[in-house]
Amino acid sequence: MESNRYDVVVVGAGLSGLTAAGTAVRENQRVALVANGPGSFVLGSGCLETQDMLRSGTAPERNEAIAFFCEMARLADCPFDGDIAGGRYLPTILGGFKSVALAPRLLWNAEPRDGASTAIVGIRGLSDFDENFMAERMNERARTIGFACTYAARQISLASDCGIPVTTLRIAKRFDCDPEFRSELRDALRLAAQGFERILVPSMLGLHCSETLIAQFERELGCALGEMPTLPPSIPGLRLSHRLWRYLHRMGVELFQGFPVQKLEIHEGSCTGVHVASLGHPLILRGESVVLAAGRHSADLLGEACVELDPQMRPLTPGGSAMAWNLFAAGALAHNGACNGEDAMEILTGYWAAKFAAAARGSYAAR
Amino acid sequence: MRPDDFAIDNCLKCAVCNDACPVFGVHPRYPGPKHLGPELERLRREGVATDTEWLEYCLGCHRCDLACPHQVSVSEMIARAKAKHRKPLARSLRDWWFARPGLLGMLATILPALSNFALSMRPARFLMSRLMRIAPRRKFPAYTRPNLHSPAKETTSGDRMRVVFFPGCFIRFNRPELGRKVIDLLERNGFAVEVARTDCCGVPATANGDEAKARSLARANVRSLIDHVNAGMRVVTACSSCGFMLKTGFGGLLDDDKEFADAARQIGASTLDIGELLMAQSDAGKLNTTFQPTNLRLAYHAPCHQKAQGIGRPWYHLLGKIPGVAIEDIDAGCCGMSGTYGFKQEKYNVSMAIGQQLFDRISASQPQMVATECATCQMQIEHGTTFKAIHPVEVMLQAYDGRPL
Repeated sequence: MESNRYDVVVVGAGLSGLTAAGTAVRENQRVALVANGPGSFVLGSGCLETQDMLRSGTAPERNEAIAFFCEMARLADCPFDGDIAGGRYLPTILGGFKSVALAPRLLWNAEPRDGASTAIVGIRGLSDFDENFMAERMNERARTIGFACTYAARQISLASDCGIPVTTLRIAKRFDCDPEFRSELRDALRLAAQGFERILVPSMLGLHCSETLIAQFERELGCALGEMPTLPPSIPGLRLSHRLWRYLHRMGVELFQGFPVQKLEIHEGSCTGVHVASLGHPLILRGESVVLAAGRHSADLLGEACVELDPQMRPLTPGGSAMAWNLFAAGALAHNGACNGEDAMEILTGYWAAKFAAAARGSYAAR
Repeated sequence: MRPDDFAIDNCLKCAVCNDACPVFGVHPRYPGPKHLGPELERLRREGVATDTEWLEYCLGCHRCDLACPHQVSVSEMIARAKAKHRKPLARSLRDWWFARPGLLGMLATILPALSNFALSMRPARFLMSRLMRIAPRRKFPAYTRPNLHSPAKETTSGDRMRVVFFPGCFIRFNRPELGRKVIDLLERNGFAVEVARTDCCGVPATANGDEAKARSLARANVRSLIDHVNAGMRVVTACSSCGFMLKTGFGGLLDDDKEFADAARQIGASTLDIGELLMAQSDAGKLNTTFQPTNLRLAYHAPCHQKAQGIGRPWYHLLGKIPGVAIEDIDAGCCGMSGTYGFKQEKYNVSMAIGQQLFDRISASQPQMVATECATCQMQIEHGTTFKAIHPVEVMLQAYDGRPL
C-alpha cells in the first residue's frame, strides 16, 4: 500500500476535525489527520453551551453525533456529560452563570447548589483570576437565577511561587509532572477549604494526567472540588484537545501536525490529493475521501468565499454541482457564515461529514 | 522558511506555543516561547534592550512553531535574539566549541584513542565542568578515525538512481561505520551513493548563538551540494537535525544574498531523510524486502527535528514492514537533549526533567531496544534509561542479514 494513501484524510484538528477523524476510525477507515494548529476550541471554555446546542437543532442526527462525541471523549479519558436539552448552570470567571449542556466532570462540580457554602480559591500571583470579584458577583447572580447558596473568597500562596506571574497553564503542567507540587497544592487547598462544603478553583488540575489521578487528588483533599475555565488557552479545552489527539494516535490515525494544507488537488470531479506545505517540498496525502474541517481556511482552499453544500455535505460549485464526489465539508464551512466556536455544530458536521466520507468510499470501492 | 516579516502580527498571544514548549513544562521560571519570541521581538525591533539569560534556555526543538495556529516562526525569533545574547566568558568559550563540532571532530580524530582517553578521565571531566561548565555526568561519544568515503566507482555506475549522502558531524567523526551502513542500505535498495564533502550543517552553531559561523557553514555547504542538486541528484540525510537544516534552506541565514538563498532553497527542496526516500521506494514497489524473519520488540522515538520536517513517521512504518518486528511509537515528546544543550552544566537538570516522561514511557514499554534517528536523542535515552538506543538504519540492515543486533 502507498504510504501516504488513506481511506479518509481529515484537514483540521478543531472540534469538527477531531470528531471527523474519530468517526472515520470507528468506521474502520485508515485515517490521516493533518492540522496546522489546535483549532479554536482550545481557546474556549471547554464546555458546550445550551444556546449553542439549541442552534444545532434537535433532529436525531444531532443526538447521534453528540452521543458519539461523548463516547469518544470517554474513551479518551476526558468524559463529557450533561443534558443535551441544557438548562444547567455553570459559573464563569466573570462571576456570572451560563447555561451549559455538556461539560467535563470537574466543571460540573462547580454547578450552583441550594444551600451549599462554597469557597472560591485564588492563588497569589495568578493572573486573570480574581476570587474576590467573583465571590461578590456570584453571591448576587446566584440569587437572580434562583439558587440559595453562598460564595466566599479565599487565597492560597504556594511556596514554590517564584515571584513571577503564574498562569493556569504553568500550574497545570507542574500538576502533571511533579508529585511534590501536587502535595503542596493539595495541602494549601485543604486549609482554604476549612468550613466549606466545596471549593472552586481556576481550571488548572493537569492537562495529561489521568482521571484516576484527579479523583485521588479530590479524595485526599477531603471536600468537593470544582474547576472554572479561565482565559485562553483554557485548560479544559486544551485537555480535551490533547486527550483526543492521543486517543486518535492510539487508534492508529496518522497525525500530521504543524504545516498548513496549501492546496487541494481536484481533478475531473475528484479530490485526488491534499498538499501539505511541509519543509523543503510539499507532502502529498492521498485520500479516497477528504473531509475539510479547517475553519475559515477551508474556504480559502476551495477558492470560494461562500460555499453551499449538498445534502451529503459536499461543497458545491457556483453552478450547483459537487466540486468533487469525494470531498466533504465540516466545521465552520458547513454551518453557514464560516464562524468558529459553535461547538455543537462542529461536532454534528464533523460526525456526519466523516460518515458520508466513509460511505462514499465504500460505494466507490463497490463500483 | 516561513514568511516572517508579517508573522509577528499573526501572534494572538494564545499561548498554545507555551503549551507545546518542553522547557516551559518543567522550569517554573522559564518565561516561555510566547514571551521570548513575539512579545520581546516587538521591543527588540524598536531597539529596546531586552537581552535575557532565558534566551539560552530555548531548546530549538521547533515544537512551538508546529503548535502555532498562525505560523508564527517563534523559535526563529528566539534564535536570532540568542545570537545577540552576551554570555560570561566560560560559557562563551564552551559554546564557541559546541558551535564547531566539525573543528572539534577534526582535532579529536587526529589521535582518537588519546582524545577518548582524555575525555573519559575523571580529572579532565572535572576540569571541563569547572572551566567550561560542561555537565560532568555526561559522557562524550567516542571519536573514531574519519574514514567514510564514497564507494568505488563500479558500484555507482549502471542505471541506479544517484544520490548524494550528507553525513553530518556525528557520522563523520564518531560513527563512520553507521555512515557505511547507510550507504550499504541505500545500495541494497538500488541507489548509487556518493558521500558529500561537506562541513557541519550549522544546527549546533545556530543553537549556540553563533550566527556568523552558521552562515559561513551554510555557504560552504551550498557550494559543495549545489552542483549535485543541479545534476538532478537527491541529497539524503540520516540525521534529523542535518535534514531539518538543509530543508529549511539553511534557516534563512543566506537570505541577504539572493544567489545563495535560491541555491539553498533548491537544495532544501531536493533533500530527503533516508526514511522518506526508502518509503518512496516502498510506494513505488521497489523496496528491498528480502528481510529475514526476526523477533524484535522495539520502541520508536520520533526526534523533534524529524517532526519539524513534516514527513510523518517513515521509519515507524518501514521498521514495521520487517516480519517479526513489533514496534511501539512512544510519543512522549522531546527527549530534552537537543544536541549540545544537555551537555551544558547549568541546563543538565532541565534536560533530564524534560526527558523524564520519555524515560518513564520507554521503561513501561520494556522494549528490547529503542530506535530513533537522532544521535543525541540516542545518547539521552541511553543516559536516562537502561535501554540501548540505535539508528533505524541499523535495524533494517541487520534484518536483511538475519543477524541479531
